[in-house]
Amino acid sequence: MFVQGVANFLDDLMGGLQLAGLCVLIGGLAWGLGVLQAWRDAPGAPLAALRRCIVVLRAGAWLLAAAQALKFLAKLAVLAATLGEVPLARYAATVQFQAGVVRLVLAVAVALAASRLAAAPASRRRWALILVLAAPLAASGAWLVHAVGRFDSRALLMTLTVVHQLAAAVWVGAVIQLFALWRLALVDPEVRRLWPVVVARFSPLGVASVSVLAASGIVLAWYYVGSWEGMLGTGYGSLATAKVLLLALTLGFAGLNFRAGRRWLRDPGAATVVTRVPYYIEAEALLLASIVFVAATLSSQPPAVDIPALTASLAEVLDMFAPKAPRLTSPTHEALLAGEAGRLAVIGRVPSSAATEWSDYNHNVAGVFLLGMGVIALASYVRGWTWARYWPAGFVGLAIFLFFRSDAESWPLGPIGFWQSTLGNGEVLQHRLATLLAFALGIVEMRARTTGTGERLPYVFPVLCALGGVLLVTHAHVPFEIKTDYLIQSTHLVMGLLAVVMATGRWLELRLGHAGATTQSRAAGLVAVGAMLMIGAVLLFYREPLY
Amino acid sequence: MRTRRESVRRLAGLLLTLAIALGAAPAGAHAIVTGSSLERQPVRAHVATTVLLSFNSGIEVGLSRVDLVRKGDRQQPLPIGAGKRPGELRVSLPPLDPGDYALKFRIFAADGHFTEDVLRFRVAE
Repeated sequence: MFVQGVANFLDDLMGGLQLAGLCVLIGGLAWGLGVLQAWRDAPGAPLAALRRCIVVLRAGAWLLAAAQALKFLAKLAVLAATLGEVPLARYAATVQFQAGVVRLVLAVAVALAASRLAAAPASRRRWALILVLAAPLAASGAWLVHAVGRFDSRALLMTLTVVHQLAAAVWVGAVIQLFALWRLALVDPEVRRLWPVVVARFSPLGVASVSVLAASGIVLAWYYVGSWEGMLGTGYGSLATAKVLLLALTLGFAGLNFRAGRRWLRDPGAATVVTRVPYYIEAEALLLASIVFVAATLSSQPPAVDIPALTASLAEVLDMFAPKAPRLTSPTHEALLAGEAGRLAVIGRVPSSAATEWSDYNHNVAGVFLLGMGVIALASYVRGWTWARYWPAGFVGLAIFLFFRSDAESWPLGPIGFWQSTLGNGEVLQHRLATLLAFALGIVEMRARTTGTGERLPYVFPVLCALGGVLLVTHAHVPFEIKTDYLIQSTHLVMGLLAVVMATGRWLELRLGHAGATTQSRAAGLVAVGAMLMIGAVLLFYREPLY
Repeated sequence: MRTRRESVRRLAGLLLTLAIALGAAPAGAHAIVTGSSLERQPVRAHVATTVLLSFNSGIEVGLSRVDLVRKGDRQQPLPIGAGKRPGELRVSLPPLDPGDYALKFRIFAADGHFTEDVLRFRVAE
């Protein structure tokens, strides 16, 4: 069970990393040829910039190859745990295995070709070789997506999905290239001079890729979701909605960068392209990385159009978020344990009200913690109220609370021992790690806020926050896709989105503050605190349906 | 001696590892049951029955598994085979006494995703 849980996790994680690798590879190619103009007799960028592009592209190719290889292993482990044997021959006969092998081999070939290209970054023949290898690599994705298992419009959906992936890859990969180039520009004056030029050159490529992304996404949503109810009332639709919302936020930053590039073209003295754009690009990269993982999760959901009878109504979804009196008293531990056997039974299952009340209490009290921290964090912006900078201590309190409450059957409250429960049950292990994470977050962030800005310590919090947000969003899928499960997961999806917003806000607060943009930095910080307060409110009003 | 920056890096690495580990998620659910012969033809007591399950997606029968769950959650693997149409699965049930049962299936979809689900049914007198 535990091995299967870990293998499932690896399988899901590798899906996200595969997409990320594909984006870096394809986007790097578009960047090298389209923005750095490596195809010209005299490339439109210094060799150092071309080399940086190739190094990043190669990293993407290796990431894709490694993720694909690990995915094979994870899939085999899941199959072995399910079937009680390793069905190598039968697995090798599947279309998705064969397409995966093609992708793996081509990714390795691209990585090796990129190594040769790095030795002669302006070689048109070597760029052409990568292009020739990348084309079938991208096309192989058609046999690795939802569409391959569909009975209707299969070819159309396979093609559209690949087009959608390519458009996303160009955008995401190019933003990562921008990020990498800025790091180089900090130490290379020649590249620094090139910076505003590439920001301006990237704009039309960005607009084109976003347009194709949106157009193909709308058609795919039409086929896979099919209704407005499906967009909000199913796991697939709600993840698609989450993608749209994150995309809208990302486009806001992309728009700021686009405007800065245009302004620089009109007035080469305009400073925004250097003083703000690099930080907006970092925020854009953070959001795009989140979108990539949401997209990978989307591919493991049943399309909304297939489950009309299991779609929750808008009223049912809204009711999950409606203000209601929080549950601040808990059922006894004995009452909870008494109902567990019936709740977990397959035959003769009996819903346990004690279990839902126990869960409500956990969520609602966690909401009290978050709201308290949010209010004190707001107070920390008042001049002179330095005591309020200790608000992250709330995470330590939350960790202690979770330690006692998250697994009622295990130590310290339940009869199952610490090691037995931690190492023998994947879910308990997750909870233990979550507890440790909350505790560490509190300590790290409190130290970052009270002992000076330091160097990297303050950035641990937003990075972990974004990771936590992505995990909440991608965790919003369950083995049994039924309405009740989805209603529970819808709250986690919203909290995940808010955590990504919180991470982006805090990141920009730090970066813009560092750049001397005090007003914008403060505004970004307040957005982050606002997101934390909203997470607190969702938790405070959480109510689990009886199941 | 370890520098402060190294310590921060190590801590960040640890936290990232933990955060990734937290993502241990349940299996994705892609191929789902869109229909079953149990709805039209209830299982009769003491008679071997073939149940037909229809899925919304192509499935790999050779990599899938179906178990019969009896009272007390005792499980027994069942023989399965491909149906006549794509996405159909034939499940052979042994003769059963009256009572409550369930089919617990783990299906490998054509796109490589696993589905776990339970279909409950009753065998009448």
